[in-house]
Amino acid sequence: MHVDLQGPWSPLLGRLTLGAIPYTNPILIGTFIFAATIALIVVGTVLYFRKLPYLWREWLTTVDHKKIGVMYILVGLVMLFRGFIDGVMMRTQQVLADGPHSAGYLGAAHGYLPPYHFDQVYSAHGTIMLIFAVTPILAGLGNIIVPLQIGARDMAFPYLNAVSLWLTVAGAALVMVSLFVGDFSNAAWVGLMPLAELPYNPGVGVDYWMWALQIASIGTTFNAINIIVTIVKMRAPGMGWFRLPVFTWTMLSTNIIGLTAFPVLTVALALLGADRYLGTHFFTAGLGGNFMLYIDLFWIWGHPEVYFLMLPAFGVFSEVIPTFSEKPLFGYITMVAATFAIAGIGWSVWAHHFFTMGLAPNSIAFFSAATMLVGIPTGVKAFNWLFTMYRGRLTITTPMLWSITGIVLLLVGGLTGMMLSAPAIDYTVHNSVFVVAHFHCMVLAISAGIFSAVVYWWPKVFGFKLDERNGLAFYWAFVIGSVLVFVPMFGLGLAGETRRLDYLYDPQWMPLLIAEEVGIGFYFLSVLFFLRMLYVSLRDRVPAKGDAWETGRTLEWMTHTPVPFYNFAVTPQVHSRDELAWRRANGLEEAKPDRYVPIHMPSNTGVPVIIGLLAAAFGFGLIWRIWWLSGVSLLAIMVLVIIRSFNKNEGYILTAAEIEAMENKIETASVIAEQPKRLPLSEVEAH
Amino acid sequence: MSTHHANPLDHAEIRQGTVLRYIVAFIISALCMGAAMLAVQLKLPFLHYAALVVALTLIALLSQAALFFGLDISRAQIWKSVSLVLTVPLFIISVGLTVWAFSSLYERTMLPPSGVTQPGMSAPAVPGMGPMGAPSQPTLLQ
Repeated sequence: MHVDLQGPWSPLLGRLTLGAIPYTNPILIGTFIFAATIALIVVGTVLYFRKLPYLWREWLTTVDHKKIGVMYILVGLVMLFRGFIDGVMMRTQQVLADGPHSAGYLGAAHGYLPPYHFDQVYSAHGTIMLIFAVTPILAGLGNIIVPLQIGARDMAFPYLNAVSLWLTVAGAALVMVSLFVGDFSNAAWVGLMPLAELPYNPGVGVDYWMWALQIASIGTTFNAINIIVTIVKMRAPGMGWFRLPVFTWTMLSTNIIGLTAFPVLTVALALLGADRYLGTHFFTAGLGGNFMLYIDLFWIWGHPEVYFLMLPAFGVFSEVIPTFSEKPLFGYITMVAATFAIAGIGWSVWAHHFFTMGLAPNSIAFFSAATMLVGIPTGVKAFNWLFTMYRGRLTITTPMLWSITGIVLLLVGGLTGMMLSAPAIDYTVHNSVFVVAHFHCMVLAISAGIFSAVVYWWPKVFGFKLDERNGLAFYWAFVIGSVLVFVPMFGLGLAGETRRLDYLYDPQWMPLLIAEEVGIGFYFLSVLFFLRMLYVSLRDRVPAKGDAWETGRTLEWMTHTPVPFYNFAVTPQVHSRDELAWRRANGLEEAKPDRYVPIHMPSNTGVPVIIGLLAAAFGFGLIWRIWWLSGVSLLAIMVLVIIRSFNKNEGYILTAAEIEAMENKIETASVIAEQPKRLPLSEVEAH
Repeated sequence: MSTHHANPLDHAEIRQGTVLRYIVAFIISALCMGAAMLAVQLKLPFLHYAALVVALTLIALLSQAALFFGLDISRAQIWKSVSLVLTVPLFIISVGLTVWAFSSLYERTMLPPSGVTQPGMSAPAVPGMGPMGAPSQPTLLQ
């Protein structure tokens, strides 16, 4: 031990004791009962219908990019719900704890959450929403759509793809475990320094946050490598750079950001880990350390991370709007240039997150000007979308509504961002809820992109559309909720409400706080409509066509709906930027291949899911300082990786006859269909 | 995926090194380390010292990129080389802007070194210069 730990420690269980289980907290007991009930229903259903072998063979061990994408999105949606509940708790606490005469419940002086619990809730909310909800959902979308849009069979590294997923799941699992074993961080999603250092935060909360983030971000980095290589190396013949769909361009730029920025977070967290585990002083005041260095490192990653999340949403708008305007995208080249300009400038604006830390006026002026520059390419994009719709044949479906709403939110978030880039305004409203409302508008624009994408591409993956009626109800409840929560929040910020408050001192804020709470009620309603939309769509399952919206323009709409697991029976030859629109115009939409050739497919493997489990055990061991558990888990991961490297994993061959049979009966090849066991190549050759 | 190569080393993208290149890279890296150690011990003037460090870093980086990783501008390796080159501006932006912003940040936010000297805090490594390039001031250790 190089550091002074508070509380007991034993070689077998580290810092873990029975006291770590919060069985006296009624809120957490209720949460546990809810989570356990859901888990029992899921596990019970799988066992009752004897689907465990199917689940293992077709999903948990899969290397298919579409199934991996679906699982990414599923994990993201579960975490989105968890993060949303955190948001409900925060809003409710603030509306209950406004003014000195506000009552206290469940042991709290005001409201129902004591400060320490409230701090954990907002820390979890930010971490979960950005890292474990939005990031996995966007990674999932990229996984599903990018290979289809470029006419590829799968990702460049299918096995690495599965490893990325399960590392993300391991990180998410650690965040969830912190609900019931120990605490989560109370130092905000950014890791406030020196609050996150061991002397000031001696519990395991920061360790949960740190290791969950660290493990998941390694998964995200792997995924970034995979998507970049896929786009660079696996485009169908004829798909030159300027025939690439804009969503794919945005995924390329976003993953370049991911690949270059996430290692900075890894370093920042590793140095914090050295402080907390080895007793170094990188970010403490002692021995020449400086916490401002952490803030700098964090935002060198943190600001590009904003664009890492934003750019794919821009890509979605750029796909959905032309489809439902029945026009090619206006200003394709400028759109691509703007994407890369945003990604590039996004690397030189990070210090605007800490203008008030004491930067010199010339430094502030530089970062302020750089921040304002981002508005130019963003404006180019907004005008391009508007000009695409101008004189188009518009069909206002739910994906289109979400995309248009995304542009409006982008405008509100972007213009308030321009306000904040002016140092005088930033100094005035720094750390107020005005900033919170600003960045929520940006994240809501991303959410609008996500919901647009989910509704738009759903039929491509599952073969049927989502119910439009409930989709609209979900949309309107969400939009009304957003307005009611965040318009008052801008006002409260200008009125002087600082962020992260468990107790508000000004009773005059009550009307706006009540408006926010009503907004949260509408969000709750939107969740119910979302679930109803899924239920009704699954119940009815009205089959969709290959080109589900009938005005699709890009390559993914050319293959079957639902997409067969081999994607394209024959690798397509690309002739135009909007290949499907080109084929439609030339009467080639229904053209069938005259012959099929065998396809070489990768075999499934259980190694990635086991690596994910071991990574979670490794993280859990480090959090509780159970050294043997971490050591054994890490060793097991190394041994597994070495063993796997000796396995040639040559995959299997789909014969031309099999492909033809499946092309004629496409439901047998869909994402959810059960496939017969296929022998790997080495065994076929041995016979 | 339409072709089947059982041996990964058949692919030019994967077969990046040879024994000879590894040995040469190892020798160059070892020489660079030795030269760096000598440079520390010789107590050179700051500018000479800085120039030597930059030169040694470049030689080490180039030998590792070209010899260990086998990067070049061939069709098989060009994308990896491009990726490496594209990290240079990001490196310059992130490190350069940090050094620039922090050089004034220290002066504006930190107490003068004489006020914060603690047990275990050593004197500035470069004569005449304080932390992060700030002009040195007398400390309790001096």
